[in-house]
Amino acid sequence: MNKLFVRQLEKARGSTGEVDLDALGRLVSAEYEQTAVDRRRTDRSISQMIEELDQLNRELEGVVKERTGQLRQREQEFHAALENMSQGLIMFDASARVVVCNERYMQMYALSPEVAQPGHTLRELIDHRLANGTFAGDADQYTEELRAGIARDDTSRLITELADGRTISVVNRRMANGGWVATHEDITERRDAEKKIAHMARHDVVTDLPNRVLLRERLGEALASVKRGARLGVLYVDLDRFKAVNDTLGHPVGDELLRMVAQRLRGCVRQTDTIARVGGDEFAIIQADIEGPQCTSQLAARICDAIRAPYEIDGHTAIVDASIGISLSPDDSVEPDTLIKNADMALYRVKAEGRGTYRFFEPEMDARMHARRKLELALRSALANREFEVHYQPIVNLADNTIASCEALMRWNHPDLGMIPPSEFIPLAEEIGLIVQLGEWIIRQACNDAMQWPEHTRVAVNLSPIQVMSTNLMPVVVNALAASGLSPGRLELEITEAVLMQNTEATIATLHRLRNLGVHITMDDFGTGYSSLSYLRSFPFEKIKIDRSFVKGMDSGEESEAIVRAVAGLAQNLRMTTTAEGVETERQMEQVRTLGCTEMQGFLFSPPVRVRDVDRLFAMERRSQAGAA
Amino acid sequence: MHVEQFEWSKPKGWSSRGTVDNADLVLYFGSREGLACGARYRELREMLPRAHILGCSTGGQIRNHDITDDEVVAAALKFEATPLRLACEQVKVPESSRACGEAIGRALHAPDLAGVFVLSDGLNVNGSELVAGIAGVVGRKIPLTGGLAGDGAKFEETVVGANCAPRSRTVAAVGFYGNAVRIGHGSAGGWDEFGPRRHITKSRGNVLLELDGKPALDLYERYLGEEDIKGLPGTALLFPLRIRDPERPDHDIVRTVLAVDREARSMTFAGDMPQGWVGQLMRGNFDRLSAGAGNAAQQACAKLGERGKSAEIAVLVSCIGRRLLMGQHVADEIEAAGAEIGTDVPRLGFYSYGEISPHSASGVCELHNQTMTVTTITEAVGGLG
Repeated sequence: MNKLFVRQLEKARGSTGEVDLDALGRLVSAEYEQTAVDRRRTDRSISQMIEELDQLNRELEGVVKERTGQLRQREQEFHAALENMSQGLIMFDASARVVVCNERYMQMYALSPEVAQPGHTLRELIDHRLANGTFAGDADQYTEELRAGIARDDTSRLITELADGRTISVVNRRMANGGWVATHEDITERRDAEKKIAHMARHDVVTDLPNRVLLRERLGEALASVKRGARLGVLYVDLDRFKAVNDTLGHPVGDELLRMVAQRLRGCVRQTDTIARVGGDEFAIIQADIEGPQCTSQLAARICDAIRAPYEIDGHTAIVDASIGISLSPDDSVEPDTLIKNADMALYRVKAEGRGTYRFFEPEMDARMHARRKLELALRSALANREFEVHYQPIVNLADNTIASCEALMRWNHPDLGMIPPSEFIPLAEEIGLIVQLGEWIIRQACNDAMQWPEHTRVAVNLSPIQVMSTNLMPVVVNALAASGLSPGRLELEITEAVLMQNTEATIATLHRLRNLGVHITMDDFGTGYSSLSYLRSFPFEKIKIDRSFVKGMDSGEESEAIVRAVAGLAQNLRMTTTAEGVETERQMEQVRTLGCTEMQGFLFSPPVRVRDVDRLFAMERRSQAGAA
Repeated sequence: MHVEQFEWSKPKGWSSRGTVDNADLVLYFGSREGLACGARYRELREMLPRAHILGCSTGGQIRNHDITDDEVVAAALKFEATPLRLACEQVKVPESSRACGEAIGRALHAPDLAGVFVLSDGLNVNGSELVAGIAGVVGRKIPLTGGLAGDGAKFEETVVGANCAPRSRTVAAVGFYGNAVRIGHGSAGGWDEFGPRRHITKSRGNVLLELDGKPALDLYERYLGEEDIKGLPGTALLFPLRIRDPERPDHDIVRTVLAVDREARSMTFAGDMPQGWVGQLMRGNFDRLSAGAGNAAQQACAKLGERGKSAEIAVLVSCIGRRLLMGQHVADEIEAAGAEIGTDVPRLGFYSYGEISPHSASGVCELHNQTMTVTTITEAVGGLG
């Protein structure tokens, strides 16, 4: 019998042991009812659960679909990113097996997709690279060091040189799973460019010689390794007349000349010496480990000879000279900068004293340099301090012995140093660019002074080459004339051959404009330079001044006399006035008059005098004319 | 140790005046209506003036293999060498449950405390907090067993009494002391997982508001259908909720519903419903639930068996949910437990709103729901001497 029914029967049995059928019926009925409720409840809950699970299932399917789509898209994006990288990328798992690898990586190392496919080991890749020549080195050592580096650092970098010459930068980044990602970048071009830039920073572009920076470094190194008892020479080489070559034949020719000079210098020095280009036309040489100064002077002489030989460039022939300044270590200094400075100073002296040779540094050069610097400072303030004066030297008409004109000559009356001769301060003023201002000042002063003189007398002012080239010469002259009220016909501007040697076309144009203004243009010191007749043809000068050396020379030889005669004759034919400079004796005066000169200038008549003394000379002249009348 | 069982029924009154005249402890269980008047307590007190008298209202009383609703069942226990101490506290609001547990713990705590049997109000106490409060004071190694009082399937009021007439909002416990007493315990459910796993997305203490972002009550109502919705909250016990911390997936707990709030669409459970935990509905199969009860009894006996003793009394506390589901078949689980314990061992117990016992896996004392818990007691005097 059913266990429950037995229990129900038991429960329905009364105290007498008889079964109460009503009670049993209630129990059985209740159980039926309960079972029915249970069944309905179970049905309901199961269908509810099925519905719920179904719904969940649908949601999950949706999620899976969405995630799958996202995953696929991410995969595509990842693939696109991977394949569009300029670097090669390869990922390894913890056991050094390939997880993923991009096309670029395979290209870099000429690997086939089969070789680089997931699952292959690092060592297998290296073996393939060894075979195809894209790996140089010990494969065991490489893999060992790579694994050790990854175990040690989160990120490790290395640069490898491939057998084919490429340079590859490799960055390995460790991943959380023990594997790593390696990015390989071909940095060959970047490396080359960096090397080139580094080279350019320390070399001259034109000659490929070391530049000043590298010179300084090499000198430091050379000084550090000079053997005991040995010397080191620093030679500063300046090319004379290089600027003229550059200006007349153009920069390409100039550059070629520099290259040829560099080549010749290389031929003069030893392998261990350093040649550098330190400026436009300046070179420096470090002559390391020499026994004595004679080695350096021999080298300097060799260089002078080598440089002096003509250069044939594009059908042109160019000739330059070398001036060389030399300093020695330890004699002059053991400091690189001082050695360079001293060599430069010695070079300055060579240039000041007539180029084309060499000189060793001497301590007094330094003193002179200091003196020059002091003078330079004084000169810069002299104009403001009204330390300049104009002196005038009369030029006399040889026909009637009257003063035809006066040449304005600048004097510097320094409060402490006294009178400083123009030969000292004019070159300095030219060098430091003060000449334009001084020139302007003297033109104005001369025009003003001349206004006090008899109307037939002119005033002559010297123009320096720099002044003529300066664009403000015309306005300066026009303003000076206007301010003073002097007639342009009473102003003479004297230029030397040097003016015509530079920038000829522009210079001639300027001279023409001045001449058109009514100003007279004079060729000064004729005979001291090239004395080329082409200069006389290039511009219609009104006057030629024959240099004092010819006048002086007339006493000792016929050569000078012939020259004076020729020039005077030439001038006469060209309808020019001629002035003989430096006439000091009656005899010289008679000679130049006889030879055809129209004017003379010199101590015989008057030295340069202050303006008030000029006035006195005019007064005397007026009195003598009155007396003669 | 000596145990005598007796019972009260309306027509017959108390079956026995108790031959254990000098009993130390009386445990008694009855319906709320049967106990709330206080008459039963007074009668017991008169019969056994020396004894500590501890009892509560239930969802059905268990006496050996019988389950009754109208009888009051009782057992008188006389110990030979085991001192007892009784503690009783009032719980004004559920939020003070832990403090109440701590007070009970302090009252019972002693170096020779061997075990605690606790009866608590079944509707106004957060059982998890109460257990945590007691265990926190007496120590986690002291066996703590017992249950939450019941009120049939009505869920209106439960009463507990300790040396006084049973009252609402009361927690009472008896502590067993000394090295003679042996207490075994077992707990098992036997429920089957049912339907998808859900997340507790909103809760406050033991009040569950949302599962997977939807009101918890909606889910229960959908599963119960119109017929059973009327029976809420009792019918919610047909689908207990098993919950677990996702961080400790092997440590799961079954929770049963005490009340529902149809306005707030929330459900109040007998213990905490931590937010973020995972929940899954369960349903019972009569055979497996009965097997579960047998399993609990086996555990409780095995615990004593380790010390070479068999039980002298077994206290069975089973969940009201099991009875509601199983109906007349519920006797099967009592029989299954009895078969494990031995039909000659007196068995006393009740259907509760929550069971208290160490967790079968972790050994940590906890509040359980929808389980059968069995406490076995014996004394080892002389045998060990």
